[in-house]
Amino acid sequence: MRSLRREPVLLLALLAVVALVLTFIVYPQVQVVIAPGPSGYVDFLQGGTWIGPLRNSVEVTLLSTTTAVLLGFVYAYAMVYSHMPWKPFFRVIGILPLLSPPFVVAASYLLLFGPRGIVTYGVFGQSPIIFGLFGIWGVQTIAYFPFAYQLIADVLSRSDARMEQAARNLGAGPWRVFWTVTLPLSRPGLGAAILTTAIYVLEDFGNPQIIGGIFTVLPTQAYSLISGFGDFTSAAAVSTILLLLALGLYVAKIRLDGGRAFVTVSGRASSMPRPPVPLGLSAACFVACLALAALLVLVYGTLVVSAFTAVFPTNLTFTVRHFEFVATGTNGDALRNTLTFSVVAAAFSAVFALFAGWLVQRGTWPGRGALDFLLIMPAAIPGIFFGIGYLTAFNQAWLDWVNRGWLIIIAMIFWNIPVGYQAAVAGLRQVDRSLDEAATSLGASKLRGFRDVLVPMLGGSLRVGFVTTFVRAVTTLSVVIFLFTPATTVATIRIYQLVNDLNWGGATAFTVADIGMAIVALVIFAALARGRIALGAARA
Amino acid sequence: MTKRFGGVTAVDDVSFDVPKGAFATLLGPSGCGKTTTLRTIAGFYDPDAGDIQIGGRRVNELPAHRRGTAMVFQDYALFPHMTVRDNVAYGLRVAHTGAAERTRRVRETLAFVGLTGLEDRWPSQLSGGQQQRVAVARALVIEPQVLLLDEPLSNLDAKLREQLRVELRTLQRRLGMTFVYVTHDQGEALSLSDWIAVMNAGKVEQAGEPWEIYYHPRTAFLADFVGAVNLVPARVSELAETTVTVTFGTHRAQVRRPPDVTVTAGHDVLLCVRPESFSITPAAPADRNGIALEGTVARRAFLGDTMRYWVRVDDREWIVDQPDPGAASPLDGAVSLSVRPERVHVIAE
Ligand SMILES: Nc1ncnc2c1ncn2[C@@H]1O[C@H](COP(=O)(O)OP(=O)(O)OP(=O)(O)O)[C@@H](O)[C@H]1O
Ligand SMILES: [Mg+2]
Repeated sequence: MRSLRREPVLLLALLAVVALVLTFIVYPQVQVVIAPGPSGYVDFLQGGTWIGPLRNSVEVTLLSTTTAVLLGFVYAYAMVYSHMPWKPFFRVIGILPLLSPPFVVAASYLLLFGPRGIVTYGVFGQSPIIFGLFGIWGVQTIAYFPFAYQLIADVLSRSDARMEQAARNLGAGPWRVFWTVTLPLSRPGLGAAILTTAIYVLEDFGNPQIIGGIFTVLPTQAYSLISGFGDFTSAAAVSTILLLLALGLYVAKIRLDGGRAFVTVSGRASSMPRPPVPLGLSAACFVACLALAALLVLVYGTLVVSAFTAVFPTNLTFTVRHFEFVATGTNGDALRNTLTFSVVAAAFSAVFALFAGWLVQRGTWPGRGALDFLLIMPAAIPGIFFGIGYLTAFNQAWLDWVNRGWLIIIAMIFWNIPVGYQAAVAGLRQVDRSLDEAATSLGASKLRGFRDVLVPMLGGSLRVGFVTTFVRAVTTLSVVIFLFTPATTVATIRIYQLVNDLNWGGATAFTVADIGMAIVALVIFAALARGRIALGAARA
Repeated sequence: MTKRFGGVTAVDDVSFDVPKGAFATLLGPSGCGKTTTLRTIAGFYDPDAGDIQIGGRRVNELPAHRRGTAMVFQDYALFPHMTVRDNVAYGLRVAHTGAAERTRRVRETLAFVGLTGLEDRWPSQLSGGQQQRVAVARALVIEPQVLLLDEPLSNLDAKLREQLRVELRTLQRRLGMTFVYVTHDQGEALSLSDWIAVMNAGKVEQAGEPWEIYYHPRTAFLADFVGAVNLVPARVSELAETTVTVTFGTHRAQVRRPPDVTVTAGHDVLLCVRPESFSITPAAPADRNGIALEGTVARRAFLGDTMRYWVRVDDREWIVDQPDPGAASPLDGAVSLSVRPERVHVIAE
């Protein structure tokens, strides 16, 4: 503290960070939680409208998480342990879903299995009812197993290959080693991966909204209470229940992995050599991955085919008409907005996270623990809750002079702070304090030392924060659904609206354009960073 | 000055003056608070009590980067993303020194520490000794009032350590700059320093010139920590103005009375005799002025420059060093030891 008093600039910077965190993380959330007031909560809880969605949310989270984790586990095991061919291909296929809005899986599902779906109607001539629990279950399984895969693969690849070698030398077979050595050792990591997947599923808004039908979950109920009935109080109460569930999962996750922040997903394979597995196992892994990859190719391929054909699936003439539609008018603006908002948000988020991480990790002032907690907390906040928070706090008449695009950008910055922040803290832990002290003892103030010595060394943390925020900003629907205006609409919103309008050509072309843009942007960042980019797949 | 970490008092009411322009060393066993003292001087820690003055000016309220102290770290802490030149130029750049002067001073300092030609290397491309020199150059170039060094040689092998020891000493002499040096290696401390403070458990046990500390340690801890020593319990039998008469075993000797320490007749004391203060001979001692002891060789070890004997006299063993032992066969069996009285130092218990 005394050292802060001696460096007023540092003190000011710290106060600014605290003010920003209070304004943009704490204040909006508190607004939502207290909005209903005590009597509002009593009325709402007695009304009982929340019981069904709560049960549905829990049910679908349990189901989808289980299947997504199982599939993700198979994929991860195959990638880390087996000696199957085509691994680079499977790796790329496994990353692609992370770059797309998860809810486009629901759109693809409708195209394949909907009332006029290519499989259901086209092949079997049926128009089954595919909405509801089973539809959501299937869609979320496909949408989130790639996330589970990344999380689990990270845990498995961090398991110590030497111990496995040692167990094999003692005569245990590969399967036995896996069950008696690898799994017990990675149990906390796997538990954390499962809980993280569960948070993704729990807060999923797009998929249940598109194919849930009358099957409402907490996020969709919160949304329809506001957009359909303008019942803000109940929506706030519903999202508070959702927040509590997510917080519970998140706290359990931190207990398991001690708050290990993020998984770095890069195109490169892990170099750790693993003991060999039998040929049969590799073959089985290959078949399983092939099937899963085929499923992903089917889901995303359908979108691509639909994007390039006149009327999918009845008229398959090639056309770029949908893309012309996407490039013009509001649609073009939405794409441009997505790009600008995401890049700006990613840049600010990464830099802010690094700076805040430095203040917390290197500081000696009281209250660091609290700031640390606040900077990690957004990871536990469901997007829909975050969006409602910003709606409540900042969608005010007296703020009308502010371009609403900034609101979206700020929401993206602070919703995504945890990944960049934890990457920064992890990075700083790797840099010995004597380096900053060396700068200080040579006459540089703490801020100067941070700029000259730490920032250049923490490029990796900056890139993780930047790329992750960028990708999550490009793909999120729930955070922005309450914040956009006609002038500041973004790609995910337009895709969602076009799906609702059953404009499949437009929706799928938009999806392809959005994903394509994200990929191109990432390739450019990668080129600028000379290939050293990594995406934090998990929420912190 | 006092510095606490939670419940631990790392530095406990320590007070000392480092003479200007001296090579001063804080010496002590691991965990005694040397680093904490040094870092508090540098401004990385705030003392819980007490003042730090540099050149007569109280610097407690100055942040670390304005104290005029530069630090050389144990692991060197070279900036890995800067070349040798940029590392050394860093402090000047921060101080907005003009480009021409900066270039000149960097060149001179690098030449000074013998690194000319390595300007464009990265720290990772240097040997340990070279990195160490860059670290010193980087700190010297800003001409600090005090240079602080925290075990700067401990990561190097013995030979290089010895060589750099000499270089550091020469450098300091030439610059006339005040160095505060931290080490737990007594040999390093003795050979480098003009002034040594020996610390133990957060306190300074004794401070002064190296030979004072070596031959006239004030406590048994000090005697033992600074080199090999014979510590023998004895009793004071008579006190004179400048001498004390002590008895130990069946022996009686008149030795120098330590100044500023109270010794009382009839009390127990420790006699402290360095192994090299003895002379050892096979026959009866020639030096009748000295204190003579008769004993037998129990063990011996050849240390190269000396032969170390453990000689049993009555019921205790004495460590005795024979300098320049030569290639003749070592002593064995009965030997005589003698030591001049002024080499026997009395430690009040
Ligand atoms: N940052 C800290 N937090 C808590 N305790 C500390 C801290 N730094 C030092 N200490 C404690 O203070 C005491 C003195 O430590 P210090 O590092 O000054 O010892 P040292 O003399 O430099 O030892 P060494 O020779 O091993 O480097 C030790 O007991 C140590 O455990
Ligand atoms: Mg130390």
